[in-house]
Amino acid sequence: MSEPILEMTDVSKRYRTAGFGRGRGGFLAVDGVSLHVGRGEALGLVGESGSGKSTLARMANGLVVPTSGTVRTDGRDVARLGRRGLRRLRRNVAMVFQDPLASLNPRQTVRQTLENVFRAHGETTSTAELVALLESVGLGAHYLERYPHEASGGQLQRVAVARALALKPDLIIADEPTSALDVSVRAQILNLLADLQRDQGISFLHVSHDLAVIRLYSDRVAVMQRGRVVETGPSEEIFRSPQHPCTRALVEATPEAELPARPAGALRGADRACHDRDHDSPNDHPVVSRPEAGATEY
Amino acid sequence: MPDPVLQVEDLCVSFTGGGVTADIVRDLSVTLYGGRTLAVVGESGSGKTITGRAIMRLLPRGASARGRIVVAGREMLSADERELRRARGSDVAMVFQDSMSALSPYLDIGAHIAQAIRLHNPSVTRRAARARAVEMLDRVGIPEPADAVRRFPHEFSGGMRQRAVIAMALVNRPALLIADEPTTALDVTVQAQILALLRELQREYGMAMLLISHDFGVVGSAADEVLVMYAGRQAEYGSLRDIFDQPAHPYTAGLRAATPRLDVRREIGGERTRLRAIPGAPTSLRDAGPGCAFAPRCGLADQVGERCVVEAPLPTVRPTSEVGGLHLAACHLDRLPAPQEVAS
Repeated sequence: MSEPILEMTDVSKRYRTAGFGRGRGGFLAVDGVSLHVGRGEALGLVGESGSGKSTLARMANGLVVPTSGTVRTDGRDVARLGRRGLRRLRRNVAMVFQDPLASLNPRQTVRQTLENVFRAHGETTSTAELVALLESVGLGAHYLERYPHEASGGQLQRVAVARALALKPDLIIADEPTSALDVSVRAQILNLLADLQRDQGISFLHVSHDLAVIRLYSDRVAVMQRGRVVETGPSEEIFRSPQHPCTRALVEATPEAELPARPAGALRGADRACHDRDHDSPNDHPVVSRPEAGATEY
Repeated sequence: MPDPVLQVEDLCVSFTGGGVTADIVRDLSVTLYGGRTLAVVGESGSGKTITGRAIMRLLPRGASARGRIVVAGREMLSADERELRRARGSDVAMVFQDSMSALSPYLDIGAHIAQAIRLHNPSVTRRAARARAVEMLDRVGIPEPADAVRRFPHEFSGGMRQRAVIAMALVNRPALLIADEPTTALDVTVQAQILALLRELQREYGMAMLLISHDFGVVGSAADEVLVMYAGRQAEYGSLRDIFDQPAHPYTAGLRAATPRLDVRREIGGERTRLRAIPGAPTSLRDAGPGCAFAPRCGLADQVGERCVVEAPLPTVRPTSEVGGLHLAACHLDRLPAPQEVAS
């Protein structure tokens, strides 16, 4: 097997906080995490708010600098990259954020937004290339001259994906890419990302709080709780038999759009196993790590 | 049968701005009894939030409502300010998505609840109101309520704040609770707790609940009846079972198929599972032509032809599996083709 596109080894991130309360000594957002994303693989990162999943994702392309540990992207140690190296890294690792309206410049047309990506990396581009780029995300050429406020949330998220694709990255980090979208549009964007993985072999680190999304669109899953990865394994196995209490709590609390539903009010939420990093559970459950699915049987 | 807690008849809400008036909700009628939960489901622009606000008479500037809204025997649309003040908080209360903006950062939690009590019962002493606030915080599951009552909103987590807001909304035992996306900002485990709490309190108080949500998962675990709205109109209405088992509107079926489900595997028979997306984006009534607002996105409109584009369908009665149940759908198709679940 070839080298993974992303490999994190014992990575931690401590934020300094204003010095009162338990903030003294800083806030450990990510606590000794090791994980990898194989080439062409989609890794789903799930966890509740504050579990550290966004911080972890941002360390993959150098947006957040880890306090300790190493991040290797495409075989290179991110910490040792200079400015040039980081720039090259970011060609290779693109990002899609949750809120497309906030991540696009309101004063730039789609054309300007896309052209700037090429310019930032010292490349020129043609209208034909930009049109092809838009078409690859299902948008027509007329979107080139539009401003963000002239498009819907779903269309804007397609633009954001087009921007991520512009420099033909090997890895896309998608941080809650569909959480701000309407249900009927969410499926369009998820299918688009799945097509990119299948047809262009792009790897994904997909961060989401929605387990159902992660189950359908990830090959492997890492579950985070209080800055740590508490369970990893192939998506199928994790959801068929979640082992860690945190994973189980998340699975049980996820409501199903399905009948016969569990009787109303039967959703298990009382389990605090996953939530609330203020209260450390007295006996921490060991991390559940499942063997790599070399030969996954379905 | 007892009188309904909420009766809405032919509700229209329109916005006036820049000399133009446009409807955002049209011809909405619902009846809701005590102890029942009606979920209003829709996407952006569907008019679900505006409908909730119209019932409270809390419409934004420039919006006006026509038709008839009766809450616990009171005509809301013709009520004057004094009557409205009496109704709000005591007959009908509301819980919003963002608990932080529903609470004043300058007041402790107890003050919020005591204020809600004393507004409707001026004879209650401050002291008695604080004591009642402690009881209420205890009832909604806030630990150490005697201490919590003195805390400020920012000292609470999102889930605890939402519990406090629920305590505030329910302290006067309203006949109707309008919950507008009450769990959307919360983590799933907390969401499950809050939904269970709402259900429990509803049973205890016998109140009716209008649950506004975009999430079929939430709806499935909390609703008795479901109203699906699209572009300001009712697309489908029915019992939870009818809506889930035999949807009669293509939009309802489409929304369900587009919702990721935890029980669906990533690969089935070596093929990657894909969600069936609805093409296009949600529209509002303003952008809709004379025909069905969903027609441009509807895969079945071709089967019907011209009619979908020129004539807006009216809700008509559909088969129901419930005794005495009502199942309505606004679609020119008499029946949907057999539902394919997550396919293609």
